[in-house]
Amino acid sequence: MLVTDFAPLAVPSEGAFALLVPQDKSPDTLFMAADGLCGGALGRAMLAAGFTGKKGQTCVVLAPSAAHTRVVLVGLGRDPGLTAMEEAGAAAALALSRDVSASIVVEDATAAAHAALGAHLRTYRFDRYRTKETPDDKPRLGTLHVLTQDPGAAQAAFAPLAAARDGVFLARDLASEPPNVLFPAEMAERCRALTALGVRVEVLEPAALAELGFGAILAVAQGSARPARVVVMQWQGTPGTPPAPLALIGKGVTFDTGGISIKPAPNMEDMKWDMAGAAAVIGAMHTLAARKSPAHVVGIVGLVENMPSGTAMRPGDVIRSHSGQTIEVQNTDAEGRLVLADLLWYAQDRFSPRASIDLATLTGAIIVALGHEHAGLFSNDDALANQVLAAGTASGETLWRMPLGETYDKLIRSDIADMKNIGGRPGGSIIGAQFVQRFVRGPWAHLDIAGTAWATKDSALCPKGATAFGVRLLDRLVTEHFEA
Amino acid sequence: MKVRFGRSSKAPVRVLPIPPGGAVPRPNRARVAGFTGAAGTAALLAGRRRRLLLLALHEPEAAGALAIARLPHDTHIAIDARALPPAVTAAIVAGALMRAWRFTRLFSNPAPGLQRLDVIVPDPDVARAAWAQLSPGVEGALFARDLVTEPSNILTPQGFTARLARLEREGVQIEVLDQAALTREGLGALLAVGGASMHPPCLAVLRWPGHGGADPAVLVGKGVTFDTGGVSIKPGAGMWDMRADMAGAAACAGAMLAHALRRSSTPAVAVLPLVENAIGANAYRPGDILRLYNGTTVEIVDTDAEGRLILADALAWSIRNLRPRALVDLATLTGAIVTSLGHTQAGLFGTDDALRDALIAAGAAVQEPLWPMPLAPSDALQSDVADLLQCTSGPRQPDALLAATFLRHMVEDVPWAHLDIAGVEQRERGPWYEADRHTLGATGFGVRLLDRWLAGLA
Repeated sequence: MLVTDFAPLAVPSEGAFALLVPQDKSPDTLFMAADGLCGGALGRAMLAAGFTGKKGQTCVVLAPSAAHTRVVLVGLGRDPGLTAMEEAGAAAALALSRDVSASIVVEDATAAAHAALGAHLRTYRFDRYRTKETPDDKPRLGTLHVLTQDPGAAQAAFAPLAAARDGVFLARDLASEPPNVLFPAEMAERCRALTALGVRVEVLEPAALAELGFGAILAVAQGSARPARVVVMQWQGTPGTPPAPLALIGKGVTFDTGGISIKPAPNMEDMKWDMAGAAAVIGAMHTLAARKSPAHVVGIVGLVENMPSGTAMRPGDVIRSHSGQTIEVQNTDAEGRLVLADLLWYAQDRFSPRASIDLATLTGAIIVALGHEHAGLFSNDDALANQVLAAGTASGETLWRMPLGETYDKLIRSDIADMKNIGGRPGGSIIGAQFVQRFVRGPWAHLDIAGTAWATKDSALCPKGATAFGVRLLDRLVTEHFEA
Repeated sequence: MKVRFGRSSKAPVRVLPIPPGGAVPRPNRARVAGFTGAAGTAALLAGRRRRLLLLALHEPEAAGALAIARLPHDTHIAIDARALPPAVTAAIVAGALMRAWRFTRLFSNPAPGLQRLDVIVPDPDVARAAWAQLSPGVEGALFARDLVTEPSNILTPQGFTARLARLEREGVQIEVLDQAALTREGLGALLAVGGASMHPPCLAVLRWPGHGGADPAVLVGKGVTFDTGGVSIKPGAGMWDMRADMAGAAACAGAMLAHALRRSSTPAVAVLPLVENAIGANAYRPGDILRLYNGTTVEIVDTDAEGRLILADALAWSIRNLRPRALVDLATLTGAIVTSLGHTQAGLFGTDDALRDALIAAGAAVQEPLWPMPLAPSDALQSDVADLLQCTSGPRQPDALLAATFLRHMVEDVPWAHLDIAGVEQRERGPWYEADRHTLGATGFGVRLLDRWLAGLA
């Protein structure tokens, strides 16, 4: 993994480094100094490349002087904010990936910390199953020196960001792991590791789940040889009697075949990340604990594997959820909502949270509705919804509010049970949310992240693959509204 | 159908709306008949001279609809509104007329249906004045429903323009650009989509000049009189539904009728690209590159995504020729919006917050709810060979967003909103249909919303 350190502001006299350049501004003293060291090569390269500092633009200048191997100019655009700094740090790290050690020059301490975060986020790699890679195949960049005016302040600003990075990486790792490696018991073990950060971790095994009457989760799990787990992670925050917690609930289907209502084969491998909601919750808990958040937060994840087999639940089965409400299962592939149903009810019963937020790769319909730019936000509470929306915008994990309503709720009425678990294709995501809402008491937000949990192409801060969508959003939300 | 406001009525059935807590006549019989006064309840009591329908009055339009639903065979009904405020009375009448609408023109021997609705009020003039606020929108909506329901062998592009005579009688100026004019002007997409049909495409322009010479509000409506899908042909099951693929154009025409009936001073224009998307030797193909009215080239991916093409031509034409103060388009555009929002609300896309909020408010007031949706990133429709890609292919495409984003490329900086009304333009039997509130078939969605919005413009 990339190592960053913060050192006093200077233009490196040798090796490789990156400079961040705002758009259409006359060159600042740093640039002038760097260009001077390089005998004017940077200015000439800028002109030749048509580099104006536009956001997303980079200009790599090879061997601009006898001592310098590579100088990278990264465009910041106009009025760059902290996200632009993260993206610039990311672009710089990519462009410097052939250098074992390099520097990036960022004057302002906060900006420097965010540039460092961007470099980390973008250079993440999940390569533990690549056995034939030569060192030449791998990115070489091991150390990035961030040269900044006040290294101490930058280091301090970076500490919580490093915690966010660790949470994001944990969530990405979990979502990337293959389903034969990461199954419910194994994923529960990975949760246990949070104990080292001071998180209280309880793992509920099938006997305990049966005793608690988690009929919905157990029904989903019953087709698999690998039994279910529910993991409760408590972060107390400030010592003493904590206020009512924020409850974070995650869907953790470690692999979803669809069950008896089996999915078509094409792209079924994607279903290894049907636990991305749980991964985001675990990542967020890691981040909060790692940065010693004063907030009281409980994370609960339901871990199951949805398999077709002789013991699997069938379409037509009626199951009894932890809440006592009965559910007619009409499609075994609408299993995520069953998991959430038991978790939400349990969280509310046991912790009386101030608010509950669930994250789930719940419906394909949300991809049709919103594509991959926004996750769907459903909520019964406008104040909470607006807080969550704002946290999403600020963290770059954007949400779009979707409706709820009685009309949609009618579609899940069952002829023989309290409800059924599907209601047709039209409004599919809303119907899913409406089902979950039947198990909600109190302020609640539901994030359908099926379109945002996995990226099929690289983006500014994330290589293609698992995105850990939700970790930074939740961290931000807690910072803004739950640490008072 | 006649609506009469008077102090009495000889109708054989009388509807008595009872607000929550209101006095219930013949309380014992009402109780036996199961009348609780809860929303959605009604009870019919027999009588020597006439029948009496006790009607729970909560939401007035819903109550008006419920009255009609409970009296399906009556041709002459009276509503006893003597105790009600005029605005509530008017809303009950609106709900009743919306629920009583049927399309019987093509039955050889139609059942008569509701012919006369008497409204018993203390002051008929005051009640008529209140009704005059709602009646244009209702009349426009019912006009639109007729258009949507008429089959595609009758309502061809030319059949549609013939129906616009109704608007002409109210003072709307109708201009129709025929195929030759479209060719001259270069509406390349409308011509291509209509290329395979025996019934040539046209662009109908409906002008209400108003007073004062302000720039007009412009409505653009998708008018595909039948959509086979073209070369990218649709599956057979349910294809009959595609006669309703002109519901956007019908809604705009209905709104213009309402606007004219109001004798509004606000200038408004509707621009309706009317076309049949047929299959034939002259059909356009996936892979074709079309040149739109504004010069933009478009690579065709799927000939069944024709709505965005004809709207693009119409939007561009409107911008160049009409100086719109605002542009609102309505279209049964994508199946994706149905997957997104179901059958109760339409998707709202746009570039202007004020316009968006005004339309949402107008829709909420007339029970035509809109839900705001995002646009896709502007680089989402990059083509290797043309300025724009028409759409993307593959499963689970966010096609409603992409279609809106395609249109976004046409509207320059004019305040613009796009209503994707696929899913709300018709109602079928099934879980989304409530017999007490809804008619089956065409809804006229959009007419009352647009009428309300236009009426609110200074």
